[in-house]
Amino acid sequence: MSSDTDPIVDPGTSGTTPVEHATDARTPLLEIDDLRVGVKGDNVAYDIVRGVSLSLYDNEILAVVGESGCGKSLTALSVLALHQSPPLHITGGAIRYRGVDLTTLSAAEMRALRGAEISMIFQDPMSALDPMFTVGSLLTSAVRAHRKASKAEARNAALEALADAGIEDPRRRFDEYPFQLSGGVSQRVMIALALVNDPSVIIADEPTTALDVTVQAQILERLRMLKEERKMGIMLITHNLGVVAAVADRTAVMYLGEVVETGSAQDVLAVPHHPYTNGLLAAVPRLNSKVADLKPVMGRVPQPQEITAGCAFRDRCERALDRCATEHPVLAPRHRTSVRCHNPVD
Amino acid sequence: MTAILKRVALTLVLLFASSFAVFAAIRLSGGDVTAARLPASATAADRELFLQQVGLDQPIVRQYFTYLGNMFRGDLGNSLTNNASISALAVDKMRNSLILGAAALVLVFAIGIPLGLVAALRRNSWVDTGITSFSVAGMAIPNFWLALILIYIFAIQFQVLPAAGQGGWRYLVLPSVVLAAEGVALTVRMTRSAVLDTLGNDFVRTLRAAGLSNRRIYLKHVLRNSLLPIVSLAGLRVGQIVGYALVVEVIFGWPGVGQTLVNAVLRRDYPVVQFFALVLVVVVTLGNLAASIGYTLVNPRLRK
Ligand SMILES: Nc1ncnc2c1ncn2[C@@H]1O[C@H](COP(=O)(O)OP(=O)(O)OP(=O)(O)O)[C@@H](O)[C@H]1O
Ligand code: SF4
Ligand SMILES: [Mg+2]
Repeated sequence: MSSDTDPIVDPGTSGTTPVEHATDARTPLLEIDDLRVGVKGDNVAYDIVRGVSLSLYDNEILAVVGESGCGKSLTALSVLALHQSPPLHITGGAIRYRGVDLTTLSAAEMRALRGAEISMIFQDPMSALDPMFTVGSLLTSAVRAHRKASKAEARNAALEALADAGIEDPRRRFDEYPFQLSGGVSQRVMIALALVNDPSVIIADEPTTALDVTVQAQILERLRMLKEERKMGIMLITHNLGVVAAVADRTAVMYLGEVVETGSAQDVLAVPHHPYTNGLLAAVPRLNSKVADLKPVMGRVPQPQEITAGCAFRDRCERALDRCATEHPVLAPRHRTSVRCHNPVD
Repeated sequence: MTAILKRVALTLVLLFASSFAVFAAIRLSGGDVTAARLPASATAADRELFLQQVGLDQPIVRQYFTYLGNMFRGDLGNSLTNNASISALAVDKMRNSLILGAAALVLVFAIGIPLGLVAALRRNSWVDTGITSFSVAGMAIPNFWLALILIYIFAIQFQVLPAAGQGGWRYLVLPSVVLAAEGVALTVRMTRSAVLDTLGNDFVRTLRAAGLSNRRIYLKHVLRNSLLPIVSLAGLRVGQIVGYALVVEVIFGWPGVGQTLVNAVLRRDYPVVQFFALVLVVVVTLGNLAASIGYTLVNPRLRK
């Protein structure tokens, strides 16, 4: 199931499922298809990611937003099989990269893919770097994990990646240890690490949350440039609607392990149809990066274990109908976006 | 750097203090020094004369400075029991103990670190359970008891290794294994928990995401990060080995510092006790010093 990028929606020509209402001529680089990830233990079993479908194309930034705990990181981590297993397991669906289902790869095949085809950037750059090794040693190890390279070749690739990540003085940083770097420089080193093997996809999990506002803007700008210069597909996970407005081409709003609304960033932000998205946007006075952090709409978020039939949002929804308690809504086209709701806003 | 100099200065102070402590303790602990050299029929006057000859009639502090002065001139004195030159004795005994101690220390790390790493990487599997029980046993069994068991099995039942004495490497096996046992057990536990701690760090996920092989992640990055606490306690392992060497050398008839010291204490042979006890103190203190310098060297934050 691909979510659409095409603004022109004609429900009359929808595909085999209600979601595939507009076929995109391009094939996605990365296609997460009805992914389920859950906890499976001795006497517990429940899904946290509950049928997420997302498509990421080249030359685009897809922003994934949603409040804390809705499964954004877990979705992202499971693409590279980096989720903590046990207790977490992929319990259903497929993750296709250039048509190959990553959930079927062997450990060795997955290792070869990590960093070379799909890279990942994490939230807290200060703890994400090994304190015992220099920046240069980290980057050259990453180069040599994927190809035979002489010391000099690996060093050059590393210096180039540092420069591409927007680091002022790559030669100096090359010999520094992580504790000598500021948060912003650490995150650029993480970006360099993500770039050094020239992947097509970067998944950035809240890459700017731990940084101060000016540095945030620079890092986002760098990601946007990389997308344009290298035609990369970037999946950007964020809490911040300002970030979505600033850099995203498309966006997917998640709630409790499901995508509840998706479409072009512009459309979703301008005319949200899902009551949850609508509430989020209403809670934000202005799309300003300082104040646009997602505030939970009123009410408590249920735990993944507590989810029952019907719409997961209904306890917090002002527009809930009777059928919301029994019928699980599907992601269906609505004007220019796709919405999972029985009673969408306009 | 200044941190290291401070440590060195502190170590010197500690050495002087402990040399005096040993000096005073052996003299104040009672017992008859003259028993070993003079016949039982010797009169009180004979004994008095002997004490004067060897300088033991002087006040303790005076004796101490004479002893220090002699030592700095390179004169370690002679045994009270057989008048043998201590310097001649020292080289031989120290070499023997060094061989035994070094063998034990190598065993401690060569066995302890890999087992601890494997236990951590296979945690909660039967491999982990096996290694962990083995290390609990290693800590619970008293040294002399382990020695007797091993002697019984290998020297008496199967007769593949000698029970005591000194000769080729075969004589080294049992005493060094016994000496290392507790250190191995502790190192296994420390390595296991240090590795588990390190594995929980975010940077491990970063390395995975960059496509590094598990082998490289564990052997290079995780181990290097986990080694910090282990290295910093290596000095304590040395101290432990020195302590147990007393018992183990006596049991296995290993002619080293420990055995000599125990015999000398029993005979109240002051000069011999003083010197060999000091040797042990120096080794333990240097062990600690080396550990703290080692800690500084492996930690980039302290090195810079
Ligand atoms: N190792 C784990 N074992 C059990 N549950 C887990 C584990 N890791 C995450 N979870 C649960 O999965 C759910 C989703 O977590 P995830 O980290 O994907 O959320 P998120 O959307 O990224 O939130 P945030 O915005 O806070 O980063 C949470 O309820 C969390 O408690
Ligand atoms: S399906 Fe019903 S409960 Fe769920 S968001 Fe829509 S209106 Fe609200
Ligand atoms: Mg997260």
